[in-house]
Amino acid sequence: MKPQSAFEREPARRVFASELRETRYQFKDGEDEKSPTYVILPTGIRSNRIFIVGTLTEKQRQGDQNIFYRGRVVDPTGTFFIMAGSYQPEAMQQLARIEPPAFVAVVGKPNLYTTPDGTCLVSVRVESISVVDRETRDLWVLDTARETLDRLDAFGTTEDSKKAQEEYGTRPELYRKIVYDALTQVQL
Amino acid sequence: MNLSEVTERISRKLEANGAQPDRQKIESRLRRLVEEFGVNAAEAERTVTADLAREHHLTGVGMGGNSATELRQIRDVAPNDWVTIEGKVVALTKPVSPSMAQTGIIADSSGAIRFVAWARGNPPAMEYGQWYRVESAVVDEYRGTPNLSIHSGTTISPVEKDIPLLPSITPIAELKPGVGSVRAKVIQDWEVTHDRMLQTGLLGDESGTIKFVIWKEEGKDKLELDAVYNIFYATVDEYNGRLSLALNTAMYITDEGDIEVGRQETEIQGALVHIAPGSGLIKRCPVEGCNRTLSRQNYCPVHEIQPEFRYDLRLKAVLDDGVHAKNVLMQREMVEKLAGITLDEAVQIAETNPLGMDEIFYRIRNAVLGRYYTCSGNEFGGRLLVNSCSPITFEPAELAALLNRAGGEPA
Repeated sequence: MKPQSAFEREPARRVFASELRETRYQFKDGEDEKSPTYVILPTGIRSNRIFIVGTLTEKQRQGDQNIFYRGRVVDPTGTFFIMAGSYQPEAMQQLARIEPPAFVAVVGKPNLYTTPDGTCLVSVRVESISVVDRETRDLWVLDTARETLDRLDAFGTTEDSKKAQEEYGTRPELYRKIVYDALTQVQL
Repeated sequence: MNLSEVTERISRKLEANGAQPDRQKIESRLRRLVEEFGVNAAEAERTVTADLAREHHLTGVGMGGNSATELRQIRDVAPNDWVTIEGKVVALTKPVSPSMAQTGIIADSSGAIRFVAWARGNPPAMEYGQWYRVESAVVDEYRGTPNLSIHSGTTISPVEKDIPLLPSITPIAELKPGVGSVRAKVIQDWEVTHDRMLQTGLLGDESGTIKFVIWKEEGKDKLELDAVYNIFYATVDEYNGRLSLALNTAMYITDEGDIEVGRQETEIQGALVHIAPGSGLIKRCPVEGCNRTLSRQNYCPVHEIQPEFRYDLRLKAVLDDGVHAKNVLMQREMVEKLAGITLDEAVQIAETNPLGMDEIFYRIRNAVLGRYYTCSGNEFGGRLLVNSCSPITFEPAELAALLNRAGGEPA
Protein backbone atom coordinates (compact mmCIF):
# COMPACT_ATOMS: atom_id res chain seq x y z
CA MET A 1 0.00 0.00 0.00
CA LYS A 2 1.26 3.42 -0.93
CA PRO A 3 1.69 6.05 1.75
CA GLN A 4 -1.05 8.64 1.61
CA SER A 5 -0.91 10.90 -1.39
CA ALA A 6 2.21 12.95 -1.70
CA PHE A 7 0.19 16.15 -1.74
CA GLU A 8 2.09 18.93 -0.16
CA ARG A 9 0.46 22.19 0.74
CA GLU A 10 1.91 25.21 -1.06
CA PRO A 11 4.11 27.12 1.35
CA ALA A 12 3.25 30.73 2.03
CA ARG A 13 6.15 32.77 0.63
CA ARG A 14 7.41 35.78 2.54
CA VAL A 15 7.53 38.85 0.39
CA PHE A 16 7.78 42.58 1.01
CA ALA A 17 5.14 44.88 -0.44
CA SER A 18 7.55 46.62 -2.77
CA GLU A 19 8.50 43.31 -4.36
CA LEU A 20 4.94 42.06 -4.69
CA ARG A 21 3.94 45.38 -6.29
CA GLU A 22 6.39 44.70 -9.14
CA THR A 23 4.98 41.25 -9.83
CA ARG A 24 3.54 40.99 -13.35
CA TYR A 25 4.03 37.45 -14.54
CA GLN A 26 1.46 34.78 -13.85
CA PHE A 27 1.19 31.22 -15.16
CA LYS A 28 -0.77 28.06 -14.67
CA ASP A 29 1.13 24.93 -13.76
CA GLY A 30 -0.62 22.32 -15.89
CA GLU A 31 -3.57 22.25 -18.27
CA ASP A 32 -6.22 21.19 -15.83
CA GLU A 33 -8.95 23.57 -14.77
CA LYS A 34 -7.92 22.97 -11.17
CA SER A 35 -4.20 23.45 -11.80
CA PRO A 36 -2.69 26.00 -9.46
CA THR A 37 -1.91 29.48 -10.72
CA TYR A 38 1.42 30.91 -9.70
CA VAL A 39 3.04 34.28 -9.94
CA ILE A 40 6.79 34.59 -10.34
CA LEU A 41 8.16 37.00 -7.78
CA PRO A 42 10.90 39.33 -9.06
CA THR A 43 13.47 37.77 -6.71
CA GLY A 44 12.88 34.49 -8.50
CA ILE A 45 10.40 32.10 -6.98
CA ARG A 46 6.97 30.92 -7.92
CA SER A 47 4.27 31.52 -5.40
CA ASN A 48 0.58 30.86 -5.11
CA ARG A 49 0.34 31.77 -1.46
CA ILE A 50 1.98 34.45 0.62
CA PHE A 51 2.19 35.33 4.31
CA ILE A 52 2.36 38.97 5.25
CA VAL A 53 2.28 40.84 8.54
CA GLY A 54 1.74 44.57 8.66
CA THR A 55 -0.55 47.32 9.78
CA LEU A 56 -4.10 47.30 8.52
CA THR A 57 -4.60 51.00 7.91
CA GLU A 58 -7.87 51.03 6.09
CA LYS A 59 -10.74 48.76 5.27
CA GLN A 60 -13.83 49.25 3.14
CA ARG A 61 -16.92 47.29 2.47
CA GLN A 62 -17.86 47.27 -1.20
CA GLY A 63 -20.51 45.96 -3.54
CA ASP A 64 -24.13 45.45 -2.68
CA GLN A 65 -25.03 42.04 -4.05
CA ASN A 66 -21.57 40.59 -3.95
CA ILE A 67 -20.24 42.09 -0.82
CA PHE A 68 -16.51 42.17 -0.39
CA TYR A 69 -13.99 43.94 1.74
CA ARG A 70 -10.86 45.71 0.63
CA GLY A 71 -8.07 46.72 2.90
CA ARG A 72 -4.60 48.17 2.92
CA VAL A 73 -1.81 46.50 4.86
CA VAL A 74 1.37 48.47 5.24
CA ASP A 75 4.85 47.01 5.74
CA PRO A 76 8.17 48.91 5.95
CA THR A 77 8.48 48.91 2.15
CA GLY A 78 5.01 49.77 0.94
CA THR A 79 1.40 48.71 0.81
CA PHE A 80 -0.37 45.43 0.13
CA PHE A 81 -3.91 45.57 -1.22
CA ILE A 82 -5.97 42.83 0.29
CA MET A 83 -9.50 41.71 -0.45
CA ALA A 84 -11.91 39.15 0.89
CA GLY A 85 -15.20 38.37 -0.79
CA SER A 86 -18.13 36.14 -0.21
CA TYR A 87 -16.21 33.21 -1.68
CA GLN A 88 -14.07 33.36 1.46
CA PRO A 89 -16.80 33.96 4.05
CA GLU A 90 -14.59 33.09 7.04
CA ALA A 91 -11.85 35.44 5.90
CA MET A 92 -14.34 38.13 5.07
CA GLN A 93 -15.94 37.95 8.50
CA GLN A 94 -12.56 37.95 10.19
CA LEU A 95 -11.63 41.08 8.26
CA ALA A 96 -15.00 42.66 9.03
CA ARG A 97 -14.33 42.37 12.76
CA ILE A 98 -10.93 44.04 12.70
CA GLU A 99 -10.87 47.81 13.27
CA PRO A 100 -7.89 49.62 11.75
CA PRO A 101 -5.28 50.49 12.67
CA ALA A 102 -4.13 47.08 13.84
CA PHE A 103 -1.20 44.74 13.29
CA VAL A 104 -2.51 41.86 11.20
CA ALA A 105 -1.13 38.59 9.85
CA VAL A 106 -2.57 37.67 6.47
CA VAL A 107 -2.34 34.43 4.54
CA GLY A 108 -3.59 34.78 1.01
CA LYS A 109 -3.23 34.22 -2.70
CA PRO A 110 -1.59 36.84 -4.89
CA ASN A 111 -3.82 37.96 -7.75
CA LEU A 112 -2.92 39.96 -10.81
CA TYR A 113 -5.45 42.30 -12.33
CA THR A 114 -5.07 44.46 -15.39
CA THR A 115 -7.19 47.60 -15.57
CA PRO A 116 -8.80 48.65 -18.86
CA ASP A 117 -6.08 51.28 -19.30
CA GLY A 118 -3.37 48.65 -19.02
CA THR A 119 -2.00 49.11 -15.53
CA CYS A 120 -1.35 45.92 -13.65
CA LEU A 121 -2.48 45.68 -10.06
CA VAL A 122 -1.53 43.05 -7.54
CA SER A 123 -3.92 42.22 -4.77
CA VAL A 124 -3.99 39.52 -2.13
CA ARG A 125 -7.09 37.37 -1.79
CA VAL A 126 -7.30 36.67 1.91
CA GLU A 127 -7.51 33.09 3.15
CA SER A 128 -7.20 34.10 6.77
CA ILE A 129 -6.43 37.21 8.72
CA SER A 130 -5.86 37.72 12.42
CA VAL A 131 -4.77 40.46 14.76
CA VAL A 132 -1.22 40.06 16.03
CA ASP A 133 1.22 42.17 18.03
CA ARG A 134 4.19 44.32 17.20
CA GLU A 135 6.66 41.56 18.03
CA THR A 136 5.09 39.29 15.41
CA ARG A 137 5.40 42.14 12.90
CA ASP A 138 9.09 42.52 13.72
CA LEU A 139 9.64 38.77 13.48
CA TRP A 140 7.98 38.83 10.09
CA VAL A 141 10.27 41.59 8.84
CA LEU A 142 13.29 39.50 9.90
CA ASP A 143 11.78 36.36 8.39
CA THR A 144 10.93 38.08 5.12
CA ALA A 145 14.36 39.71 4.98
CA ARG A 146 15.99 36.30 5.45
CA GLU A 147 13.84 34.58 2.82
CA THR A 148 14.34 37.40 0.35
CA LEU A 149 18.13 37.29 0.86
CA ASP A 150 18.04 33.49 0.43
CA ARG A 151 16.25 33.95 -2.89
CA LEU A 152 18.73 36.61 -3.98
CA ASP A 153 21.65 34.33 -3.06
CA ALA A 154 20.21 31.62 -5.30
CA PHE A 155 19.31 34.10 -8.04
CA GLY A 156 20.34 32.89 -11.49
CA THR A 157 20.73 29.28 -10.40
CA THR A 158 17.09 28.20 -10.38
CA GLU A 159 14.56 27.88 -13.19
CA ASP A 160 12.21 30.31 -11.52
CA SER A 161 14.88 32.93 -11.03
CA LYS A 162 15.94 32.65 -14.68
CA LYS A 163 12.33 33.24 -15.61
CA ALA A 164 12.25 36.22 -13.24
CA GLN A 165 15.38 37.63 -14.85
CA GLU A 166 13.76 37.30 -18.25
CA GLU A 167 10.44 38.83 -17.20
CA TYR A 168 11.62 41.58 -14.89
CA GLY A 169 15.33 42.10 -15.49
CA THR A 170 15.67 41.94 -11.71
CA ARG A 171 18.60 43.82 -10.23
CA PRO A 172 19.48 41.90 -7.06
CA GLU A 173 21.32 44.83 -5.48
CA LEU A 174 18.11 46.83 -5.62
CA TYR A 175 16.32 44.20 -3.58
CA ARG A 176 19.20 43.97 -1.12
CA LYS A 177 18.73 47.67 -0.59
CA ILE A 178 15.00 47.20 -0.04
CA VAL A 179 15.72 44.46 2.52
CA TYR A 180 18.27 46.65 4.25
CA ASP A 181 15.89 49.60 4.42
CA ALA A 182 13.12 47.41 5.76
CA LEU A 183 15.38 46.06 8.51
CA THR A 184 16.46 49.54 9.59
CA GLN A 185 12.84 50.32 10.37
CA VAL A 186 12.64 47.61 12.98
CA GLN A 187 13.18 49.23 16.34
CA LEU A 188 15.46 47.60 18.81
CA MET B 1 28.04 -21.13 -30.54
CA ASN B 2 30.53 -23.95 -30.58
CA LEU B 3 29.11 -26.79 -28.55
CA SER B 4 32.43 -28.26 -27.57
CA GLU B 5 33.29 -24.95 -25.93
CA VAL B 6 30.07 -25.13 -23.97
CA THR B 7 30.78 -28.74 -23.09
CA GLU B 8 34.17 -27.73 -21.80
CA ARG B 9 32.68 -24.98 -19.69
CA ILE B 10 30.04 -27.25 -18.17
CA SER B 11 32.45 -30.02 -17.35
CA ARG B 12 34.89 -27.60 -15.77
CA LYS B 13 32.15 -26.18 -13.67
CA LEU B 14 31.14 -29.63 -12.50
CA GLU B 15 34.70 -30.68 -11.89
CA ALA B 16 35.23 -27.61 -9.80
CA ASN B 17 32.49 -28.99 -7.63
CA GLY B 18 34.12 -32.35 -7.36
CA ALA B 19 32.22 -34.37 -9.97
CA GLN B 20 33.60 -36.38 -12.88
CA PRO B 21 31.24 -35.79 -15.73
CA ASP B 22 31.37 -37.61 -19.00
CA ARG B 23 32.16 -35.06 -21.71
CA GLN B 24 30.60 -37.05 -24.47
CA LYS B 25 27.38 -37.31 -22.57
CA ILE B 26 27.35 -33.57 -22.03
CA GLU B 27 27.92 -32.87 -25.66
CA SER B 28 25.32 -35.31 -26.86
CA ARG B 29 22.75 -33.88 -24.52
CA LEU B 30 23.55 -30.36 -25.68
CA ARG B 31 23.40 -31.42 -29.31
CA ARG B 32 20.07 -33.07 -28.77
CA LEU B 33 18.60 -29.95 -27.20
CA VAL B 34 20.06 -27.56 -29.72
CA GLU B 35 19.73 -29.54 -32.92
CA GLU B 36 16.67 -31.64 -32.34
CA PHE B 37 14.65 -29.35 -30.17
CA GLY B 38 15.82 -25.97 -31.38
CA VAL B 39 16.72 -24.75 -27.92
CA ASN B 40 19.12 -21.84 -27.94
CA ALA B 41 22.62 -22.57 -26.72
CA ALA B 42 22.48 -20.52 -23.55
CA GLU B 43 19.29 -22.21 -22.40
CA ALA B 44 20.69 -25.63 -23.36
CA GLU B 45 23.79 -24.91 -21.31
CA ARG B 46 21.68 -23.97 -18.33
CA THR B 47 19.49 -27.05 -18.65
CA VAL B 48 22.33 -29.50 -19.06
CA THR B 49 24.31 -27.94 -16.22
CA ALA B 50 21.32 -28.15 -13.93
CA ASP B 51 20.51 -31.74 -14.97
CA LEU B 52 24.01 -32.99 -14.45
CA ALA B 53 24.40 -31.12 -11.20
CA ARG B 54 21.32 -32.87 -9.98
CA GLU B 55 22.58 -36.26 -11.18
CA HIS B 56 25.83 -35.72 -9.37
CA HIS B 57 24.04 -34.41 -6.31
CA LEU B 58 25.80 -31.13 -6.51
CA THR B 59 24.54 -27.86 -5.17
CA GLY B 60 25.64 -24.39 -5.97
CA VAL B 61 26.39 -25.12 -9.60
CA GLY B 62 24.69 -22.71 -11.89
CA MET B 63 24.84 -20.06 -14.48
CA GLY B 64 26.00 -17.10 -12.49
CA GLY B 65 23.91 -15.80 -9.63
CA ASN B 66 20.41 -16.35 -10.85
CA SER B 67 20.00 -20.07 -10.98
CA ALA B 68 17.29 -21.57 -8.89
CA THR B 69 19.54 -24.36 -7.75
CA GLU B 70 22.36 -22.27 -6.39
CA LEU B 71 22.32 -21.97 -2.65
CA ARG B 72 21.70 -18.38 -1.69
CA GLN B 73 22.03 -16.38 1.46
CA ILE B 74 18.67 -15.22 2.71
CA ARG B 75 19.96 -11.69 3.10
CA ASP B 76 20.69 -11.49 -0.63
CA VAL B 77 17.41 -12.69 -2.10
CA ALA B 78 15.22 -10.18 -3.84
CA PRO B 79 11.64 -10.24 -5.14
CA ASN B 80 11.18 -12.22 -8.39
CA ASP B 81 14.21 -14.44 -7.69
CA TRP B 82 13.91 -18.20 -7.92
CA VAL B 83 16.04 -19.36 -5.07
CA THR B 84 17.35 -22.27 -3.09
CA ILE B 85 18.11 -21.60 0.52
CA GLU B 86 18.98 -23.49 3.63
CA GLY B 87 17.55 -22.20 6.81
CA LYS B 88 16.02 -22.88 10.14
CA VAL B 89 12.33 -22.43 10.80
CA VAL B 90 12.41 -19.82 13.55
CA ALA B 91 8.72 -19.10 13.67
CA LEU B 92 5.48 -20.68 12.57
CA THR B 93 2.40 -18.53 12.35
CA LYS B 94 -1.22 -19.35 11.89
CA PRO B 95 -1.99 -19.19 8.17
CA VAL B 96 -4.49 -16.45 7.43
CA SER B 97 -6.12 -18.38 4.62
CA PRO B 98 -7.00 -22.04 4.04
CA SER B 99 -5.06 -21.91 0.78
CA MET B 100 -1.89 -21.60 2.83
CA ALA B 101 -0.56 -24.79 4.39
CA GLN B 102 2.03 -23.11 6.55
CA THR B 103 3.39 -19.65 7.19
CA GLY B 104 6.31 -18.52 9.25
CA ILE B 105 9.85 -17.30 9.18
CA ILE B 106 12.93 -19.13 7.96
CA ALA B 107 16.38 -17.86 8.83
CA ASP B 108 20.02 -18.54 8.08
CA SER B 109 23.06 -16.82 9.48
CA SER B 110 22.71 -13.95 7.00
CA GLY B 111 19.12 -13.03 7.67
CA ALA B 112 15.53 -14.15 7.76
CA ILE B 113 12.53 -14.10 5.49
CA ARG B 114 8.83 -14.79 5.85
CA PHE B 115 7.56 -17.82 3.97
CA VAL B 116 4.23 -19.10 2.76
CA ALA B 117 3.79 -22.76 1.81
CA TRP B 118 0.77 -22.98 -0.46
CA ALA B 119 -1.64 -25.83 0.25
CA ARG B 120 -2.04 -26.63 -3.46
CA GLY B 121 1.54 -27.82 -3.68
CA ASN B 122 1.05 -30.33 -0.83
CA PRO B 123 4.28 -29.33 0.83
CA PRO B 124 5.61 -31.46 3.69
CA ALA B 125 4.98 -29.82 7.03
CA MET B 126 8.05 -28.14 8.43
CA GLU B 127 8.80 -28.24 12.11
CA TYR B 128 9.72 -25.36 14.29
CA GLY B 129 13.43 -25.26 15.09
CA GLN B 130 14.41 -27.65 12.30
CA TRP B 131 16.75 -26.86 9.38
CA TYR B 132 15.49 -27.33 5.84
CA ARG B 133 16.77 -27.02 2.36
CA VAL B 134 14.19 -25.25 0.24
CA GLU B 135 14.85 -25.64 -3.46
CA SER B 136 13.31 -23.57 -6.24
CA ALA B 137 11.10 -21.35 -4.20
CA VAL B 138 10.06 -17.97 -5.51
CA VAL B 139 10.57 -14.70 -3.71
CA ASP B 140 7.57 -12.47 -4.15
CA GLU B 141 6.51 -9.30 -2.51
CA TYR B 142 3.44 -8.84 -0.38
CA ARG B 143 2.64 -5.35 0.91
CA GLY B 144 6.19 -4.25 0.34
CA THR B 145 7.62 -7.22 2.20
CA PRO B 146 9.74 -9.92 0.59
CA ASN B 147 8.18 -13.31 1.04
CA LEU B 148 9.42 -16.79 0.15
CA SER B 149 6.68 -18.57 -1.69
CA ILE B 150 6.81 -22.38 -1.50
CA HIS B 151 4.83 -23.81 -4.41
CA SER B 152 4.32 -27.15 -6.11
CA GLY B 153 7.70 -26.93 -7.85
CA THR B 154 9.59 -26.44 -4.62
CA THR B 155 11.47 -29.28 -2.98
CA ILE B 156 11.81 -29.27 0.76
CA SER B 157 14.22 -31.60 2.47
CA PRO B 158 15.26 -31.69 6.11
CA VAL B 159 18.92 -30.95 6.77
CA GLU B 160 20.77 -32.44 9.68
CA LYS B 161 22.37 -29.42 11.08
CA ASP B 162 22.47 -28.02 14.53
CA ILE B 163 24.60 -24.98 14.37
CA PRO B 164 23.57 -22.21 16.69
CA LEU B 165 21.94 -19.43 14.77
CA LEU B 166 22.73 -15.94 15.94
CA PRO B 167 20.46 -13.40 14.33
CA SER B 168 22.09 -10.13 13.42
CA ILE B 169 20.66 -7.21 15.33
CA THR B 170 19.43 -4.29 13.22
CA PRO B 171 19.27 -0.72 14.51
CA ILE B 172 15.63 0.36 14.62
CA ALA B 173 16.22 3.21 12.20
CA GLU B 174 17.44 0.71 9.58
CA LEU B 175 14.61 -1.82 9.80
CA LYS B 176 12.88 -2.67 6.56
CA PRO B 177 9.56 -4.42 6.00
CA GLY B 178 10.05 -8.16 6.44
CA VAL B 179 11.73 -9.71 9.40
CA GLY B 180 13.99 -7.96 11.87
CA SER B 181 15.84 -8.56 15.11
CA VAL B 182 16.44 -5.71 17.50
CA ARG B 183 17.89 -4.97 20.91
CA ALA B 184 15.57 -2.38 22.33
CA LYS B 185 14.05 -0.86 25.41
CA VAL B 186 10.33 -0.65 26.10
CA ILE B 187 9.81 3.07 26.46
CA GLN B 188 6.04 3.34 26.30
CA ASP B 189 3.23 0.97 27.15
CA TRP B 190 0.04 2.11 25.44
CA GLU B 191 -3.56 1.22 26.05
CA VAL B 192 -4.55 -1.63 23.79
CA THR B 193 -6.97 -0.62 21.08
CA HIS B 194 -8.31 -4.04 20.21
CA ASP B 195 -9.68 -7.10 22.02
CA ARG B 196 -7.19 -9.37 20.36
CA MET B 197 -4.24 -7.24 21.33
CA LEU B 198 -2.15 -8.27 24.30
CA GLN B 199 0.14 -5.27 24.38
CA THR B 200 1.20 -2.32 22.30
CA GLY B 201 3.68 0.46 22.86
CA LEU B 202 6.93 1.93 21.76
CA LEU B 203 10.36 0.35 21.58
CA GLY B 204 13.51 2.37 21.26
CA ASP B 205 17.22 1.94 20.71
CA GLU B 206 20.03 4.42 20.08
CA SER B 207 18.91 4.93 16.49
CA GLY B 208 15.22 5.58 16.98
CA THR B 209 11.85 4.28 18.03
CA ILE B 210 9.22 1.95 16.61
CA LYS B 211 5.72 0.91 17.57
CA PHE B 212 5.30 -2.71 18.60
CA VAL B 213 2.30 -5.01 18.94
CA ILE B 214 1.86 -8.39 20.57
CA TRP B 215 -1.37 -10.16 19.60
CA LYS B 216 -3.04 -12.45 22.10
CA GLU B 217 -1.78 -15.96 21.66
CA GLU B 218 -0.94 -18.80 23.97
CA GLY B 219 2.47 -18.60 25.52
CA LYS B 220 3.00 -14.95 24.69
CA ASP B 221 4.06 -12.72 27.55
CA LYS B 222 3.94 -8.98 27.88
CA LEU B 223 7.07 -6.89 27.81
CA GLU B 224 7.96 -4.92 30.89
CA LEU B 225 8.13 -1.16 30.70
CA ASP B 226 11.69 0.24 30.80
CA ALA B 227 13.27 -3.19 30.38
CA VAL B 228 15.74 -3.98 27.61
CA TYR B 229 15.03 -6.97 25.37
CA ASN B 230 16.72 -8.93 22.65
CA ILE B 231 13.97 -9.53 20.15
CA PHE B 232 14.72 -12.09 17.47
CA TYR B 233 12.75 -12.45 14.26
CA ALA B 234 9.95 -10.01 14.79
CA THR B 235 7.79 -9.17 11.81
CA VAL B 236 8.27 -5.68 10.43
CA ASP B 237 5.12 -4.34 8.82
CA GLU B 238 4.53 -1.16 6.97
CA TYR B 239 1.31 0.78 7.06
CA ASN B 240 0.88 4.24 5.60
CA GLY B 241 4.61 4.62 5.37
CA ARG B 242 5.14 3.81 9.06
CA LEU B 243 6.86 0.69 10.28
CA SER B 244 5.73 -1.36 13.21
CA LEU B 245 6.99 -4.51 14.83
CA ALA B 246 4.76 -7.51 15.53
CA LEU B 247 6.36 -9.74 18.16
CA ASN B 248 4.22 -12.82 17.69
CA THR B 249 6.79 -14.46 15.47
CA ALA B 250 9.60 -13.34 17.71
CA MET B 251 11.54 -14.78 20.57
CA TYR B 252 12.24 -12.17 23.17
CA ILE B 253 14.43 -12.34 26.22
CA THR B 254 15.42 -9.64 28.63
CA ASP B 255 18.91 -8.33 28.35
CA GLU B 256 21.09 -6.55 30.84
CA GLY B 257 22.11 -2.97 30.58
CA ASP B 258 20.30 0.14 29.57
CA ILE B 259 19.80 1.94 26.30
CA GLU B 260 19.95 5.66 25.76
CA VAL B 261 17.03 5.93 23.40
CA GLY B 262 17.64 8.22 20.48
CA ARG B 263 14.64 10.37 19.74
CA GLN B 264 14.29 11.35 16.15
CA GLU B 265 12.67 14.62 17.01
CA THR B 266 12.05 17.02 14.24
CA GLU B 267 12.19 20.70 15.02
CA ILE B 268 10.59 23.26 12.79
CA GLN B 269 10.15 26.98 13.05
CA GLY B 270 7.58 28.99 11.24
CA ALA B 271 4.29 30.79 11.32
CA LEU B 272 0.96 29.10 11.95
CA VAL B 273 -0.75 29.92 8.68
CA HIS B 274 -3.84 27.74 8.96
CA ILE B 275 -5.97 26.38 11.76
CA ALA B 276 -7.84 23.33 10.52
CA PRO B 277 -11.42 22.37 11.35
CA GLY B 278 -11.50 19.91 14.22
CA SER B 279 -9.30 22.17 16.33
CA GLY B 280 -10.34 23.62 19.65
CA LEU B 281 -12.70 21.94 22.04
CA ILE B 282 -13.61 18.43 20.94
CA LYS B 283 -15.51 15.48 22.40
CA ARG B 284 -13.93 12.08 22.63
CA CYS B 285 -15.50 8.63 22.77
CA PRO B 286 -15.40 7.34 26.36
CA VAL B 287 -15.22 3.65 25.40
CA GLU B 288 -12.02 2.20 26.78
CA GLY B 289 -9.28 2.25 24.18
CA CYS B 290 -11.36 4.13 21.61
CA ASN B 291 -10.74 7.81 22.18
CA ARG B 292 -12.08 8.74 18.75
CA THR B 293 -13.41 12.22 18.14
CA LEU B 294 -17.18 12.40 18.28
CA SER B 295 -19.27 14.43 15.88
CA ARG B 296 -21.34 17.35 17.14
CA GLN B 297 -24.17 14.86 17.63
CA ASN B 298 -21.90 12.77 19.90
CA TYR B 299 -21.64 10.05 17.27
CA CYS B 300 -18.58 7.80 17.37
CA PRO B 301 -17.88 6.06 14.05
CA VAL B 302 -17.55 2.77 15.94
CA HIS B 303 -19.52 3.03 19.16
CA GLU B 304 -22.42 5.15 17.90
CA ILE B 305 -24.03 7.74 20.18
CA GLN B 306 -22.01 8.40 23.31
CA PRO B 307 -23.66 10.99 25.55
CA GLU B 308 -21.08 10.43 28.30
CA PHE B 309 -18.25 11.85 26.20
CA ARG B 310 -15.05 13.39 27.48
CA TYR B 311 -13.94 16.90 26.48
CA ASP B 312 -10.47 17.55 25.12
CA LEU B 313 -8.54 20.38 23.51
CA ARG B 314 -6.39 20.02 20.46
CA LEU B 315 -4.98 22.01 17.60
CA LYS B 316 -4.62 20.84 14.03
CA ALA B 317 -2.74 23.45 12.12
CA VAL B 318 -0.15 24.20 9.44
CA LEU B 319 3.24 25.54 10.45
CA ASP B 320 4.92 27.17 7.49
CA ASP B 321 8.52 28.34 7.25
CA GLY B 322 8.10 29.93 3.83
CA VAL B 323 9.62 26.94 2.04
CA HIS B 324 7.63 24.02 3.44
CA ALA B 325 4.21 23.83 4.99
CA LYS B 326 3.91 21.17 7.66
CA ASN B 327 0.82 19.77 9.32
CA VAL B 328 1.13 19.85 13.08
CA LEU B 329 -1.03 18.34 15.78
CA MET B 330 -0.95 19.60 19.35
CA GLN B 331 -2.43 18.02 22.44
CA ARG B 332 -4.27 19.62 25.31
CA GLU B 333 -1.35 20.85 27.46
CA MET B 334 0.23 22.65 24.55
CA VAL B 335 -3.01 24.24 23.42
CA GLU B 336 -3.72 25.39 26.98
CA LYS B 337 -0.32 27.04 27.13
CA LEU B 338 -0.41 28.69 23.69
CA ALA B 339 -3.98 29.89 23.84
CA GLY B 340 -3.94 30.82 27.53
CA ILE B 341 -7.09 28.89 28.27
CA THR B 342 -7.53 25.71 30.32
CA LEU B 343 -9.74 22.82 29.35
CA ASP B 344 -12.08 23.56 32.28
CA GLU B 345 -12.42 27.19 31.27
CA ALA B 346 -13.00 26.16 27.68
CA VAL B 347 -15.76 23.73 28.70
CA GLN B 348 -17.41 26.38 30.84
CA ILE B 349 -17.30 28.96 28.05
CA ALA B 350 -18.61 26.46 25.52
CA GLU B 351 -21.52 25.50 27.75
CA THR B 352 -22.60 29.08 28.42
CA ASN B 353 -21.71 30.87 25.19
CA PRO B 354 -24.30 30.88 22.38
CA LEU B 355 -21.60 29.91 19.88
CA GLY B 356 -20.70 26.90 22.02
CA MET B 357 -17.65 25.01 20.89
CA ASP B 358 -17.15 27.36 17.92
CA GLU B 359 -16.35 30.10 20.38
CA ILE B 360 -13.37 28.12 21.62
CA PHE B 361 -12.21 27.48 18.06
CA TYR B 362 -12.29 31.22 17.35
CA ARG B 363 -10.53 32.12 20.59
CA ILE B 364 -7.75 29.66 19.98
CA ARG B 365 -7.47 30.67 16.36
CA ASN B 366 -7.24 34.34 17.23
CA ALA B 367 -4.56 33.59 19.81
CA VAL B 368 -2.25 31.60 17.56
CA LEU B 369 -2.97 32.26 13.88
CA GLY B 370 -0.23 34.19 12.09
CA ARG B 371 2.22 33.90 14.97
CA TYR B 372 5.69 32.43 14.97
CA TYR B 373 6.50 29.22 16.86
CA THR B 374 9.22 26.63 17.26
CA CYS B 375 7.69 23.14 17.39
CA SER B 376 9.44 19.86 17.95
CA GLY B 377 8.02 16.40 17.98
CA ASN B 378 7.73 13.15 16.10
CA GLU B 379 6.56 12.84 12.57
CA PHE B 380 3.73 10.44 12.03
CA GLY B 381 2.04 9.99 8.69
CA GLY B 382 3.13 13.34 7.29
CA ARG B 383 2.10 15.18 10.43
CA LEU B 384 4.21 16.48 13.27
CA LEU B 385 2.95 15.32 16.66
CA VAL B 386 4.18 18.20 18.73
CA ASN B 387 5.91 17.42 22.02
CA SER B 388 6.97 20.94 22.75
CA CYS B 389 6.16 24.28 21.27
CA SER B 390 7.22 27.79 22.17
CA PRO B 391 6.64 31.21 20.67
CA ILE B 392 9.64 32.67 18.87
CA THR B 393 10.85 35.88 20.43
CA PHE B 394 12.56 38.79 18.79
CA GLU B 395 16.37 38.60 18.89
CA PRO B 396 18.22 41.87 18.25
CA ALA B 397 21.29 39.82 17.27
CA GLU B 398 19.28 38.29 14.44
CA LEU B 399 18.42 41.74 13.19
CA ALA B 400 22.08 42.79 13.27
CA ALA B 401 23.12 39.66 11.40
CA LEU B 402 20.53 40.23 8.71
CA LEU B 403 21.50 43.88 8.34
CA ASN B 404 25.08 42.76 7.75
CA ARG B 405 23.93 40.16 5.28
CA ALA B 406 21.86 42.69 3.37
CA GLY B 407 25.11 44.48 2.76
CA GLY B 408 25.03 47.61 4.84
CA GLU B 409 26.52 48.79 8.06
CA PRO B 410 24.44 47.99 11.12
CA ALA B 411 22.27 50.98 11.84
